[in-house]
Amino acid sequence: MFEYLNQAESIKNIVTIGSMVLLFIGLFGLLTQKHFIKIFISIAIMETAIFLFFIGNIFNKNFTAPIINDGFKNVAIMNDPIPHAMILTAIVIGMAVLALGVSFAIEYYKLTGNTEIDKMNEMRH
Amino acid sequence: MSSILFIALPLLFGFATPILNKFGKNAVVYTSTFMQTFLLYLAFTLLSSTTATIEIISIAPPLGISFVQNEISLFFVALFTLLMTLFSLYYIGHRKTNAYKNETKFFILLNMLLASSIGLVLSSDIFNIYVFFEIAGISSYILSAYTKSSSALEAGLKYLITGAIASVFLVFAITLIYLHIGSLNLAVISQGFETLPFNIKLLISILLLVGFGFKVEIFPLNFWVVDVYQGSTSLINALFSGIVVKAYLFVFFHIVYLFLPSGEFSIFLVYLGALSMLVAEIAGLRQTNLKRLFAYSSLGQVALIFTAFAMQNADAVQAALFIAFAHSIAKFIIFLSITSIQKEHSSFEIETLKELNSPFIRAIMLIAMLSLLGIPLFAGFIGKLLILKSLAVSSLIGVVVIIIVASLIEAVYYFKLAGFMFTKSEKKEKLKIDFSQKLVFSILAFLLIVIGVAPFLISGFLRESATVMLDNSAYILTLIGGN
Repeated sequence: MFEYLNQAESIKNIVTIGSMVLLFIGLFGLLTQKHFIKIFISIAIMETAIFLFFIGNIFNKNFTAPIINDGFKNVAIMNDPIPHAMILTAIVIGMAVLALGVSFAIEYYKLTGNTEIDKMNEMRH
Repeated sequence: MSSILFIALPLLFGFATPILNKFGKNAVVYTSTFMQTFLLYLAFTLLSSTTATIEIISIAPPLGISFVQNEISLFFVALFTLLMTLFSLYYIGHRKTNAYKNETKFFILLNMLLASSIGLVLSSDIFNIYVFFEIAGISSYILSAYTKSSSALEAGLKYLITGAIASVFLVFAITLIYLHIGSLNLAVISQGFETLPFNIKLLISILLLVGFGFKVEIFPLNFWVVDVYQGSTSLINALFSGIVVKAYLFVFFHIVYLFLPSGEFSIFLVYLGALSMLVAEIAGLRQTNLKRLFAYSSLGQVALIFTAFAMQNADAVQAALFIAFAHSIAKFIIFLSITSIQKEHSSFEIETLKELNSPFIRAIMLIAMLSLLGIPLFAGFIGKLLILKSLAVSSLIGVVVIIIVASLIEAVYYFKLAGFMFTKSEKKEKLKIDFSQKLVFSILAFLLIVIGVAPFLISGFLRESATVMLDNSAYILTLIGGN
């Protein structure tokens, strides 16, 4: 009954639709939430959605892992390693930025007792 | 001599700081300044013998990472190293009275900023551009929140949140490009981008515009800029306005020219830039805080450079380079003088200029403002003249009118400031300026005047850079050879 779910095309469709839904959940959170930590979580959800979209679309389940060892050297049926390396880098960068953001938010909370983005009014307007 | 040194040396400096710290308190500062001077020397030796060359890192493109050095990238590298060296020289004078608490970290961040700005300019690989985009972002966020006062932290948070959103859009654009073209190399993407279906092209263009739009401070994505400038110290604002924005602007239009050589969206970008300039200048008119006022002026000038780049022809790009050069130097003078003034006057209201007792600072600030306004005999004039000329040639009279109106509005608040500076009122005691700072100001002002009086000194080179920037086939040939 669920045979069609196991086909490469339908997996890609599911991943694409799912990740776009996730992206819009993140965008919705970003636009509606006021708390710093909730905003950072929304940004993290958006980033994850894009990583999922990319890996899900580039991955071919009939191909092998892109590792050359003694027994196996057939490059033609290997998955492309560049997206994986790329997304790994992007995950690390994204996490570093969010950690920095949380540390700013904590310092800011200690000084002002404020946790909401629309109450940041140190600057005159 | 190779271009990798521009990125490797400043990053290496970060790792060397624990050792340098053992040699005393000043070792880090002087080593950093010395290294930047060396990079400046290197940039000028490379400039004098420009041939487009490619620096390969272990694997040849299109698979590996590579840096392309040609006239246009070397122009920006030379500008950034020059400004950073002068910044360090200024800081040597500044630290005698009010040094930052943890100078080692401060210098690591400065050099990260330098390395990533140069990396943005030299990279020929879109994922590498993303990595440098983030490094420049992260070091800017920390520098902006460096003093850890509540306003600095607010500025840092605002900067970080907008930067994180921008990077999400950029990664999305990069993934779409890789899914459809199968390469990250700019030359390969440039060859394949034409054949993509129009919908995908439009989606990627919009994502790139939003991703870079936050960073190149274009309306309506520039709401954060003014708060960041007000919250951060004016010392750091000089770097934001002089170096970081210019790197993002260059890399954005580098990508636009490579991906859309026929200029499908150029007219839209021209109007977007002109509109941003007008909005920024109108908003700047009623500001009474010096940092906020110059932040709006910076937005206006950046939008003017954006308009000039968006025209996508050699005359306009030459004009954009002229304005970028003049604006970087003028804003350096302005923000560093505000830092100097701050020693005596704690407030940033424009009325403090009345009490300013330093003929030197007054003269220097006046020169910078006249150049920003585009008065003849200063470097800003020739850029504005060229952009108006090339707009008129393309018969975009509407844009010409918008730019002239925006410049007039800008003139109103600059003359208001100049008026405050030369009002007779009670003066505070004389402002002491360190010798190294006087040297820095003099070099910057000298450059503005010399280029203004004799624009032919660099106009030929800038013309050549502009043609190189627009010449896709030469870039592709340098990068992946003639296939």
